[in-house]
Parts: sequence; C-alpha cells; structure tokens
Amino acid sequence: MIPQLVTVRHRRRNGRSLRLYVPVVPILLVLSPLLLLGVLAGLVACLVFRVSPTGALRGTGRLLWALPGTRIEIEQGRTAVLVSVR
Amino acid sequence: MSQRKETAMNEQRRQILQMLAEGKITADEAERLIDALERARPESPPASESHPRRRPKYLRVVVNAADHPGAEPTRINIRVPLQLLRAGVRLTSLIPPPALARVNAELDRSGVPIDLTELKPQHLEELIDQLGDVIVDVDEPDTKVQVFCE
Repeated sequence: MIPQLVTVRHRRRNGRSLRLYVPVVPILLVLSPLLLLGVLAGLVACLVFRVSPTGALRGTGRLLWALPGTRIEIEQGRTAVLVSVR
Repeated sequence: MSQRKETAMNEQRRQILQMLAEGKITADEAERLIDALERARPESPPASESHPRRRPKYLRVVVNAADHPGAEPTRINIRVPLQLLRAGVRLTSLIPPPALARVNAELDRSGVPIDLTELKPQHLEELIDQLGDVIVDVDEPDTKVQVFCE
C-alpha cells in the first residue's frame, strides 16, 4: 500500500504550532505531469549512469510501498517536529 | 512430550545398557533396541516452533539527551519499518560498479578495508532479517539511547 497521508507537525519556540496533513494520492494526481517529467529525467539518468531503469523503478516502488508506518519525532525544549507517514 | 514419557524412555534405555553389560544381549542387539526406542519417540517440536516468535516490523531509535546540565532536553523518537530498510538495501544493488570501486578506494584510504562488491543483496537481506535481535542500550547520566526492533 502506498502512503495515504503524511502528517507534519511543527511546534515553534513561542508555542505556536503548525499541522499539515498531506493526502498523498490527490497530491500525486495533481502533480502527475511534473511526476512524469521526473520519471523521464530519472530514466535518462539511469541510462547515463548505466543503472538498470527497471531495477531503479522497482526499487523506488518498493521504497514507496514500505514507507507507511514511518514516524520521526524530534523534540528539543519547546520546539518539536513530527513527521508521520500512514 | 510429557516429562513422564521422557523418564520412561530413559529407564528403558538404561535397562538395555544393563542387559548389554550383563552379557544377556550383544552390542548389535542393544543398538537395534536403542534404535527402535528412538523411532518410537515422537518428534517433539522445538520450543520456538510451538510458540512462534512474532517477527518485528519496526526499528525504533529513542534518544533522550541533554547537551549540558540545565539545558533543554532533546528527545528523538524514530520508527522505521524494517521493510523500508529492506527496500533501501535492495536499492544499493543498483549502484554501478565504477561507483562501488570509488567507494571501496575511499573506504580503504580511510582505514576501512571493506570490499562492497563482495556484499551481495542476499547477505544484506540476512542482515536485515537478523536485525530483529538487535538491542542497543546506552545509559549515561544525561543521555539515554535505545535502538531495538518491535
């Protein structure tokens, strides 16, 4: 399953916090033209550096599929950052 | 297998050895009897199979530290799916050989003589599989670091 929702929380020193909920699939759909360009650029890079394009695509897909469940939480005093992938 | 059955089998084995010692049976007969006794013993599954251990899914890194006494404490809590590590190490197999050769040369120059070309994807897979047993626990007055799988 590819990531569905990425949550980013940032708490500043003054106590104000920012919460960002990023729905991955709609964002990918909106950015699909750019994504296509990125994939093409990646394929060219693979050919230039003699890396198997299919292997690279498969590897990237596996990486994307394995992302859900990742959680990174860093807190220092009143400042905090949380990134969670679901 | 129950403790009682195990004790009975040990007793029968002892009787066979005693008969051999008394000369009532030959060594070949004793061997055949012990073999028959072994065959009669049902295969008991290892303890790990009867209670299969849950495979860990995540690698956790927890750090609680203060740079100096009185400073604001830092807390880091990272949870990474082991599947992500597995996917990451698979990606390393795509590194082109010239790049690996350069990395090897740099590692060698830094005093780390590791040949990365010898590192095969299946070895990395095994490494990740064994990560489940890794526990790193660093406990200092101002710092506590824990790395474990859950």
